[in-house]
Amino acid sequence: MTTLTLKMLFRKGGTASAILAVALLVAILASMNSIVNHINWQTEALGGYVNIGGTFLTLSRSSTSMTDSKIDAELTSLLNNTTDVKYTIPQRTLTATLTTDSSNHTILIRGVEDVSSFLNLRGAYVNGTSAKNETEANIGEILARLATINLEDEVNLTVDNTTLKVKVVGIVKTLTQNDAELIVPMEAIHHLTGNDGNISIIEFTFKEDAKEEAILNLIKLLPTDVKVVKVQQPKEFMQDMNSQTLTFLNLWSIAIYAVVAAASYVIATRLIAESNYELAMIRSLGAKKRLLFTLVLTYIAAVTLLGSILGVALGTAATQMASTMLGWIQTSVQVTPFLEPSQALPTLILTLISSTLGCLYPAFMCARKSYTEQSL
Amino acid sequence: MRLIGFKYLRKKRILTLALILTMASILFSTTAFSLLGFYKGFNAYLGEEEDIVAIYNRASRTPFTGIVPMYLTEPISIINGVSASSPEVIVPCTMKNESTFLRGIIPEEFSKLNHLSILEGDMLELSDINSMVVGRPLAEKLDLKLGEKVLVLGVLADRYMELQVKGIYDSQSAMDDEGLIPLYVGQWLRGISYEYVTLIRVKIDHSEVSQSMLMDEIAKEASQPSPSDEGKDEKQWIMPTIRASFSIEEIGVEEPQRFMKRYMDRYGVTREALLILSLMVFSFASASVITASKTLLYQHKGEIEVLRSVGASNRTIKTDLLAKVLPWSLAFSMAGTGIGILALMAIERSGRLQVLSHGISFQFDPLILALQLIFSSSIVALSLLRSFRSKI
Repeated sequence: MTTLTLKMLFRKGGTASAILAVALLVAILASMNSIVNHINWQTEALGGYVNIGGTFLTLSRSSTSMTDSKIDAELTSLLNNTTDVKYTIPQRTLTATLTTDSSNHTILIRGVEDVSSFLNLRGAYVNGTSAKNETEANIGEILARLATINLEDEVNLTVDNTTLKVKVVGIVKTLTQNDAELIVPMEAIHHLTGNDGNISIIEFTFKEDAKEEAILNLIKLLPTDVKVVKVQQPKEFMQDMNSQTLTFLNLWSIAIYAVVAAASYVIATRLIAESNYELAMIRSLGAKKRLLFTLVLTYIAAVTLLGSILGVALGTAATQMASTMLGWIQTSVQVTPFLEPSQALPTLILTLISSTLGCLYPAFMCARKSYTEQSL
Repeated sequence: MRLIGFKYLRKKRILTLALILTMASILFSTTAFSLLGFYKGFNAYLGEEEDIVAIYNRASRTPFTGIVPMYLTEPISIINGVSASSPEVIVPCTMKNESTFLRGIIPEEFSKLNHLSILEGDMLELSDINSMVVGRPLAEKLDLKLGEKVLVLGVLADRYMELQVKGIYDSQSAMDDEGLIPLYVGQWLRGISYEYVTLIRVKIDHSEVSQSMLMDEIAKEASQPSPSDEGKDEKQWIMPTIRASFSIEEIGVEEPQRFMKRYMDRYGVTREALLILSLMVFSFASASVITASKTLLYQHKGEIEVLRSVGASNRTIKTDLLAKVLPWSLAFSMAGTGIGILALMAIERSGRLQVLSHGISFQFDPLILALQLIFSSSIVALSLLRSFRSKI
């Protein structure tokens, strides 16, 4: 009897328009998803134009900045002993007061083992020479201009109550933050703070032929209180941009699913109104309340499923057609929307769920009525 | 025969139509207001004032990636009618694992174009070598405190640096989702030399100088650069000024809004397109409104037959139906729009809705409300009349 009744319900005139109503709603979702896919693909493609550097930083897990970070200096040898690592630059950065004859400035000092190699790796232009001992320092071009410091000038560095006099032996231009810092050999830092065996960060790169697993293997070797950060992150940046668009789309999709639920309520109400006679008849023939409830639910589920499949196809095809036509009209606009199969399935499931929720009340009310209450 | 006094329409049945109308209106209003909010916000990103023009690179694929010679600020700033010229570097970067945008500026020039209210701390100065000021929403999003030091990672260049939060500001604009840094810090992070910036914004007096006059001056510089007057002001004192050669074909001068609009147009995103898209969404959702209208008529089939039997003509019944149903549909459409607006306001306040790391600010547009009411009432009226003809 169930199959026959379902057949009867499906033959009602409203079925086609019900499928179309659901299909159009799902088409909105499918088309929006395909446009967003195109935007995300474009964004990632833009990220691909960026030259990606290979610099990594090792710093303490709890720190959010270089000066707060404290890691064991011995980690440098651990990294150096790793075959995939090209070079390492252990550094200690701290905030100090720079005193000249005329002014005081709070600045960043960067201590490195070998200033000359460090500047070479930075591709620095050096006016003068590189600092070789604790009484010598290289100053960044911007800082030198700001503090009016010239080559061969002597300046005082103060950290807490310890002061060190250094001579500026070179003015450097690196086009990095080093242009606003004082770069000194590590001994100068030890003089100012004492040597506690800690450094702030280790900057390193992998060899060109190193595989991705090399990074994972290295992370496994390092202590748990240390983290490795990749400096240049275009891919992650673009992914974050894309996830923002997806958050927007997901929030907006809630409104669509709410309309699907409301549409399903309307479809169920209409079905019950149109099939009043038939439903009363099968009730009088002995059909249980549960059967009526199941019939309405099955009808809605089938309509939704058909509507969703049609909607996904319609939405994707219509968006592709519209973008092709837009390309003909405006040649500068090249939009290629697409829908991933993995996106279609969640759309079908969520539409089915919201539609089932929407038809519960009318289905329940229909099942609750006895056939004597039904108007014939 | 007049039917105004006959209460033959059951309110409970009208609610079905009301429900779907409300939901469709929520969908339309959230789509239209949020998309147009994004569009307006993006266009207003560099300012909406008519007295500001931007000098930019015409060949760049995005507004953030072009470069123009920085030294153009000098000859432009001395033109009569130019009251400020602000070179700026827009830098995508990562802070505290969140993608964000920083803007390298010369604070003195920048403040002539944009007013910032400092909520905490102090305003940025060009000599603040390792500092930044951040907008309130960004500070809240990243939980940034005054004096906090943050590791900033580059996106377009393999650079990192440590910056300290010097102040938190409020500008009532898209800039609140960004941080401001000295120009040279922006150049480091962007990976460009001191000769270049992303764009130069210029404040002009239209009665004294026009965009074409600025373009003429730039063309003159391209063919015959003026002598440098290094050492005159602070920016030249701190930053090395090197003159970069450039081709005039690469440079554009336009109002910032038009400049941003051009980028949107390039990808087919126009105000009209977004409005049509929103209306398409509503039209697609309207298939359910038509079904609801048919259901309403079907449910009142008996009542309509009785009215006919007592002498009411089809025209009288149709007119009466429209007179009774349309006010309801208008009311529920408005209610749907209201709910949509409230939902958008709540989402906006939560700060979760972002595109390109900038919050979407909802902006009420009476045109959207008018379109919504016209469309919903037309669909209800047409579907009622059509169903009446075919079914009853």
